[in-house]
Amino acid sequence: MAYDLLSVYPAKLLEYGLGIAYLLMFIPFWRYVQGGKPAAAEVRAPAPVPAAHPVAARPAVAGWFQVPAGVHLHPGHTWARLESDGLVAVGVDDFAHKLVGPARVELPSVGAKVAQGEPALELGDGEKSVPMLSPIDGTVVAVNAAARERPDGVEDPYGAGWLFKVKAPRLAANLRQLFADSAANRFLEDASERLAMRMSPELGRVLQDGGVPIHGIGRALAGDDWDEMARTFFLT
Amino acid sequence: MANATAVAQHSFVREKILLGMSWKEYLRSLLTPTNAVATFILIIGVPLLVYRFAAGLGATTNLSQSAPWGLWIGFDMMTGIVLAAGGFTIGSAVQLFGLKDYHGIERPAILTAFLGYVMAVIGLLADLGRPWNIIMALFNFGTASVLFEVAWCVMCYTTVLLLEFTVPLFEWLGWKRIHSVMKKALIALTVLSVIFSTMHQSALGSLFLLAPTKLHPLWYTPYIFVFFFVSAIIAGLNMVIFESALSHRIFQSRADHHVDVDKLTIGLGKAAAVVMFAYFFLKLQSLVDGHSWGYLATGYGAWWLVEVVGFVLLPSLVFAYGARNRKVKLIRAASVVGVLGVVLNRLNISVIAFNWNRVDRYVPSWMEIWVSITLVTIGVLAYRWIVNRMPILRGDPAFPAEH
Repeated sequence: MAYDLLSVYPAKLLEYGLGIAYLLMFIPFWRYVQGGKPAAAEVRAPAPVPAAHPVAARPAVAGWFQVPAGVHLHPGHTWARLESDGLVAVGVDDFAHKLVGPARVELPSVGAKVAQGEPALELGDGEKSVPMLSPIDGTVVAVNAAARERPDGVEDPYGAGWLFKVKAPRLAANLRQLFADSAANRFLEDASERLAMRMSPELGRVLQDGGVPIHGIGRALAGDDWDEMARTFFLT
Repeated sequence: MANATAVAQHSFVREKILLGMSWKEYLRSLLTPTNAVATFILIIGVPLLVYRFAAGLGATTNLSQSAPWGLWIGFDMMTGIVLAAGGFTIGSAVQLFGLKDYHGIERPAILTAFLGYVMAVIGLLADLGRPWNIIMALFNFGTASVLFEVAWCVMCYTTVLLLEFTVPLFEWLGWKRIHSVMKKALIALTVLSVIFSTMHQSALGSLFLLAPTKLHPLWYTPYIFVFFFVSAIIAGLNMVIFESALSHRIFQSRADHHVDVDKLTIGLGKAAAVVMFAYFFLKLQSLVDGHSWGYLATGYGAWWLVEVVGFVLLPSLVFAYGARNRKVKLIRAASVVGVLGVVLNRLNISVIAFNWNRVDRYVPSWMEIWVSITLVTIGVLAYRWIVNRMPILRGDPAFPAEH
């Protein structure tokens, strides 16, 4: 169209109107885009209502075995944890610690190669021993001599009872195969359930299941065949 | 020693290039219907490219003195460059704004951008009457020319994209020392990519400031460079949504299943909704500022409304609805419309609405169309070749990402 001097004024009016309309429409548009129902996983559970009477809501075997934060569990009941020096500490978990009892530990030598899912160490009691799988790939750079020398087995399996340290080149890939945090707790709870079924196979859980497994529960349950039961749990 | 070297070389070729197969097995694995279609396209397209350089522009195109550029500039160059904007958009989101969630889709976005720019440069070389003169931009600084800025920025940005691509390349080759150097340089490279992209995405629009009467008043505005830059961001967001959906479906065995593509798609959909909503109002302002509302009653006005309402406002509202209600399929469908909208905008400005009032309108020849399809096909084949071998859609276990 031909340019007209007077057309400047309606154009300016339209421009200001458009700017104001944009600002007025943008606010509800923004609120619409950012709104919506949250994802199902993000809905917080309602706060539990305190019961008038104490209710025994816990499973009978809850809390038998512990795993701290930062520890990654292997399905064969070994653990790996990234230390501040960049190495990976390896040990056996609380379940294995209590199952085998006063354990004699056979550790790999410094410089040995370990592979995830391959036997790397042994726990022994008396004349028998069972191999256990390494949770991580790498080269052994340090061994906990105190764990090997202690005659009554390792205490504090996640702390002073670490067994050896590994320089792990494929840490990210290895850690994806392990359980951590809630998955680790769930894994140990499953192991607890299976152990409870060994105690009372006909009855399952009964009222007297208030205690915790003793150190050396494997021998107490299976006698001299404790190593076969341990192998089923340790996947060896 | 010679035997050891021969075995090592054979192992490299077999493991890295042939995906663990023998030559015979690899060639047999290439016999697929998709490859048959690609072969048909290339068998005609590659000789056409040779013919263009042998017989010249006049024999292969419908370009003329009055229509000096056409499909190869409008589609291969301008559209190819704008659709490659995902590289700097996602790169800046991850490296500069700290949105680490999008790290999983950063590498395919950079690879798509790199291949897009290479194909755009090849299309540009096909369009230039004297392609050997392109190197003169290195020696003669015609700083008054907009194309000088475009040439230098595209050259520099393609180099930056190549350097960003070397991070997965060196992971594939196992060169650890130089890989750590390039990884440390990623932030600086991202800053450079934002600078270069801002300059040349908008400079492509500045080209049309030189010929205001050749471009239809509905599309021309003195601020056309702003529109080119904002639509580049729109193209980047839409292209990443579209490309990540395709890649994670086609290359499922190569993808990292830890990346929640649906969640990232919803986040990108929110961003696209907001940017396209703002862009729509920018378009209205340019219409009013140019006093060109009278043209809305014409055929070009209807076409302008198709582009602005149908391909900007409509996908923006669909993105908003999809992001709010977490409908990932709807967001992906809207991203297809968004990508087509940006393509339509660039074709309108460079071909359809350019020289709009001449009687001898330019219509591309079949050879121009086939060469364009050939370049897109080569880009897609290169992308597939690289994704099947290098850690693009998943991390390399030997190079764990630091958290």
